[in-house]
Amino acid sequence: MSIIPSARADGALYWQVQARRNIGVRSLFLVVLAFLIAYAVLFPGLFTVSGFAKFTQSWFPLALVAMAQAILMLTGGISLAIGATVSLGAVIAATTMAGPLGVPGGAAAVALAGLGIGAATGFIVVRLRLPAIVVTLAGSFIIGGAALLVLPRPGGAVPAWLSDLLAGDTPAAFVLLMAIVLLWKLYLATPLGLSLYAAGENPVGAYRSGVPVDAARVAAYAISGLLSTGAGLFVAAQTGSGDPVIGNAFTLNSIAAAVLGGIGFLGGQGTMRGALAGSLLLSLMISVMFFLGFTPVAQYVAQGLIIIGAVAIPQFRKVQQ
Amino acid sequence: MTAWTDSAGGRRARAILTSRPFLTLAIVVAVWIAASFASRGFGAYGHLRYLVELGAVIGLVAAGQTFVVIAGGIDLSVAAIVTVSAISLPLLSWQADPTGLASVLAVLALTTAIGVINGLGVALLRVHPMIMTLAMATFLQGLLIIIAGGSAVTAENLLVHWLGNARPAGIPAGILLWIAVSVLVLTLMHATPFGARIFAMGANPLAASLSGVPITSTTLAVYGISGFTAGLAGVLVLGMNGQGYVGIGDPYLLASIAAVVLGGTSILGGLGTYAGTIPGAILLVTITALITVVNASPGWRSILFGSLILGLLLLSGRERARR
Repeated sequence: MSIIPSARADGALYWQVQARRNIGVRSLFLVVLAFLIAYAVLFPGLFTVSGFAKFTQSWFPLALVAMAQAILMLTGGISLAIGATVSLGAVIAATTMAGPLGVPGGAAAVALAGLGIGAATGFIVVRLRLPAIVVTLAGSFIIGGAALLVLPRPGGAVPAWLSDLLAGDTPAAFVLLMAIVLLWKLYLATPLGLSLYAAGENPVGAYRSGVPVDAARVAAYAISGLLSTGAGLFVAAQTGSGDPVIGNAFTLNSIAAAVLGGIGFLGGQGTMRGALAGSLLLSLMISVMFFLGFTPVAQYVAQGLIIIGAVAIPQFRKVQQ
Repeated sequence: MTAWTDSAGGRRARAILTSRPFLTLAIVVAVWIAASFASRGFGAYGHLRYLVELGAVIGLVAAGQTFVVIAGGIDLSVAAIVTVSAISLPLLSWQADPTGLASVLAVLALTTAIGVINGLGVALLRVHPMIMTLAMATFLQGLLIIIAGGSAVTAENLLVHWLGNARPAGIPAGILLWIAVSVLVLTLMHATPFGARIFAMGANPLAASLSGVPITSTTLAVYGISGFTAGLAGVLVLGMNGQGYVGIGDPYLLASIAAVVLGGTSILGGLGTYAGTIPGAILLVTITALITVVNASPGWRSILFGSLILGLLLLSGRERARR
């Protein structure tokens, strides 16, 4: 019975493994720290409650879509429909929450739409064996069209108290994010969550070892959809209304954040903490450039350059060695 | 002896009839026949000629995309490159250049260079193609707004005007250009060592590299070709439109990838042909034209477009089962 390690040794092993998983993203954490310091210097209000709240609110939707993209990329998939799904979540929230359904009904509708769209996409990709990139590209038109049907032009409303709660002067967004990270940790401990990395790293081997590869991948798509429409709900609360194209920029940014965070395109490589750090870096980058007075145009140019640089430099070093 | 030739010929005929390009072509013809019964004027020669002329732009963008996809990559910057071409051409006009040929060549050199930079990032810096080309698109988008300032620019270039409007022997010049490019692309892809290297690289880059395929230069060439054909498409679309503006190339990103995949080329690389992309491009403009005929709201139009592409993918884009 000595093969069962004691609880104490088990705990030590856990932290050892977690520390090893940090190795790939350690330099990223340093860059994020540097940007955080730059942000704090430019914007000293960060250390007040409302300043911290505003800071986390600008990060929160990007963090959610980065997680939505990362969970797909870990299973070897990808989605080019994240932006359209965020828009759909926003317009559903803006049209239902002020109506007879109320906030709970509206939130349920947003969650159901996200889970449903994600599961349908996952079913098409996994069970019908179509390439994810093309399915989600076509899906972005279908989902974007649905968003236009729900709300043809910007409008609708989110109850003011909800906007104040989520995007007011309290760091509710940060608390929510921590709760989501905790749920992610719990999900990784379930059979489906455990299958996630295996399904991405070596699907054939995992399949032959009895891992529910297909179920894990469909579940990943469903969770990704839920996170995306959730980000849409938050964006609607932030702006107080809905806009059928508000989410478009999130597609590129979600991929950029996940890749900055060290998630590999081939599946099974990377960690969620990396993706979160990547999204934080992207969010900080945009804020710092804004404070430095870059025009939106110069921001595009700088963002393109920084993303290539950040992705290329570690790869380049690997090749040199 | 005769029987042997007959059966070989029969086998050959069957192989062509069941191939992906032929299947896509058959779908196009079936849709055209059905649509001309449903809507008067759809099947008129003038309308079909117009559809093929629109398809030429997609076909040109998709030519480079086919090379990149077969080589195992993807080019998400084609839309931005089309816009770069359509906007920088009117800005580059010289007094000493009455035909406009020099400025067209200069623009094509510029877009080819953009493609080669994509290739440099992919081959030397080892950035994933999707990230490299998306970042390039973001970068170009910013640059374009700086250069053009958001207003439309009018082209006063004889060659560009001729490409967009002339009809030698009743056939639009754009279609003639597409035919010429198609012949070149098909020859390059299927009858040269370069073409063979692309397929080898897409099927298994490591094996290709160990067998002596020069990965770096081939990658540069593939992305360079994509920049070149996207630039050519920009010239054509500028000629047809008369004006260039930021966003003029946007529809061609999804269209080029969809045309490639609908034509039976595997998005995973190593398998496919431009012969399928050609009917794929015509199929896409046909779908768009049909949706316009239906006269639905923008939302429904978008849903129809996405669903039709998804439905067609089920016919032609499935991957192998895992066992």
